[in-house]
Amino acid sequence: MALREAVSSFRTASRAALRPLPQYHTNALAVRYNSTAALDSASEDLEPSSSFGASAPQEDLVAQFDPLSWSRGRKKQLPPSRYRYRPPKYYRGPLHPNQPPPESDPASRAFRPGPFMKTRLEQTHEATIAADYMTLVYQHYPPGTRPSKSGQRLREWVGDSPYFENRPLRAPRGGTTLSPVRKPITFRNVPRITGVTVHSFCKDGISESAYIHVASMIVQSVTNVRCQTHESRTTVQQWAYKARRTVAVKAKLDVDDAHDFLGKTIDMVMPKIKDYSGVSGTSGDSCGNISFGFTPEQVAYYPEVEAIFDQYPPQMIPGFHVTVHTSAVNDRDARLLLEAYGIPFYGKHVN
Amino acid sequence: MNAGQASARRLAIKAGSPSADSVCFTCRLSITRRHYAQAAAAAVAEAPTSMSSTSLSSENAAPKRMFEVRTGVVLSRAPMITRDLHPFEKAFYLYQRRLNERLAMPFTKYLWYKKNTPLDRDEKKKRKERLTFAKDIGKYHAYGAEGWHDELLVGAKESEPEHQLDALLHDAELPDLDENQEGAVKHEQVQRPAPRVTEADKRNDQKSLNRLLQRTLYLLVKDQRGRWSLPEAPVDGFERLHRAAERIIVETGGLNMNTWVIGNVPVGHYAETLANPVTTNGIEKLGEKTFYMKARIFAGQANVEDSVLGVQDFCWLAKEEVQPLVSPKYWKAIHDMLADR
Repeated sequence: MALREAVSSFRTASRAALRPLPQYHTNALAVRYNSTAALDSASEDLEPSSSFGASAPQEDLVAQFDPLSWSRGRKKQLPPSRYRYRPPKYYRGPLHPNQPPPESDPASRAFRPGPFMKTRLEQTHEATIAADYMTLVYQHYPPGTRPSKSGQRLREWVGDSPYFENRPLRAPRGGTTLSPVRKPITFRNVPRITGVTVHSFCKDGISESAYIHVASMIVQSVTNVRCQTHESRTTVQQWAYKARRTVAVKAKLDVDDAHDFLGKTIDMVMPKIKDYSGVSGTSGDSCGNISFGFTPEQVAYYPEVEAIFDQYPPQMIPGFHVTVHTSAVNDRDARLLLEAYGIPFYGKHVN
Repeated sequence: MNAGQASARRLAIKAGSPSADSVCFTCRLSITRRHYAQAAAAAVAEAPTSMSSTSLSSENAAPKRMFEVRTGVVLSRAPMITRDLHPFEKAFYLYQRRLNERLAMPFTKYLWYKKNTPLDRDEKKKRKERLTFAKDIGKYHAYGAEGWHDELLVGAKESEPEHQLDALLHDAELPDLDENQEGAVKHEQVQRPAPRVTEADKRNDQKSLNRLLQRTLYLLVKDQRGRWSLPEAPVDGFERLHRAAERIIVETGGLNMNTWVIGNVPVGHYAETLANPVTTNGIEKLGEKTFYMKARIFAGQANVEDSVLGVQDFCWLAKEEVQPLVSPKYWKAIHDMLADR
């Protein structure tokens, strides 16, 4: 049965292939959907056979290509099955004939549009900061020498006990946590921003949920990312703190949103803060993620909040914490990167 | 480890011979430290550690053969604005924005515009024109029956940044807030951004730092012999390279430049061998080796009127403008230090 279907579908397809196409289809194939501006020197990197080098379509073809009027002039509308594709709702495994399209396909259920631009901060990083950073942290190894390798950081079990045989290695002396190893910085691993987390804890949300709503609206409008909420875990009588109440909102920003948000923070918010000393030099989780915070008054300097400051209930604007995630493996490198971006640091720098 | 031993052996063989000078002071220290035990076991004399390229111990009767060490400065002005987008990028970003407009939740209008205010009425009127809340994606109704028509046709201007800027400025125009006056004179609330092409671009003023805002500009100077090069001069005694770079910047372009020498290590080098070595004070100069330090200028301008180094002229050039001015050999040595953008 399946074979017969396949043969018949092949016949249909071959018939369709042999049939001459309607005129507007050939036009559609010839038309380019982009601007025909002359190419600049950037195109030298591209292959010469790119369609951008091709001459623009003929003017009469351009003039008669009008999909809107074709659609409007159609007497009978096409059945949805002819143009609508709905990907399967559930993934039924790699062997199922109906596979969902990749996430980058606009038809996919998981499709998220973007990126919408190349942010200014990211371009500055590529054009200026990355190269300067590499020069700054360059470590010279004379010819014939190589960087000393850090040896096995876990200890072996030394002794006669038969239980030491094949036992996993011992934790390092002085603590069970192994910090990541810093590799020499080359053009491949110059630290960069990998994301930002904005987090706002509103204790008053326990008694009055409006605080959470306002915090959520503000964090969302400032970061361009939908917020997650967090519940309290324990009850603390002295603080009037109850378990299982929504007390915090959080937004996790990916690379593009993070650069946009950081650019806004560095260029529009930090300069407006009166007597701003900067970010504490002791901030950081020792793995290259730096955190700092803004008070409610400082949050009001974000342009999205400033524009409609009166729309929010008074005294409900929250402060929030910002954690900048970088691909550096220690705070020293991360701080150097953020300093290059323009974030000031004060006090003793702890690595 | 083999490489390390080989180099130690090589050094041991060369120790005492004049060519041992070819290893720099810091490297020699590091190498001797690393391989001290091996070298001692082999009972090989250590290379003398007190030698430097400029002051030599004159133990040997034969003249020391060596290169003169010079420092050059790659003084650059970083790009000041974002780069122009490729036509494909423009088309792609606009398409993604229109897709976003189709998929996103409706705009929360009454959070941003209080109902029945002049602002709200103005926004409504403008939205009727452009059919959508987004201000710079052209006339496009994302939720309508023809929302599928989200791609641009040939010759459409909606993806051009200038067109989008005009749209945003048009949107920023506000009516006079006096409600009684219908059709009041409009005025621009937002100042138009400065153009991306400056006056210096139009005049092709290569002395100006306001030219080619999207590109990195490098300082090139003309010496007394009329040759163009990056600013460079011999290292002064035991001077460190980055100190020498700071000095050379001042001696070339004067004090009216706010500069920063990046790091303590050079980013490139250029060696030139003399056809006929010159011998002075028991030192035979084989040629010159120039090590280039990277520096950035933030403010100010070069002034070569009373340059200590005898600089005749200067200009700020992008990478591809440097090549015709310098010799092919020099270009080969420096072109990798200069950024494409």
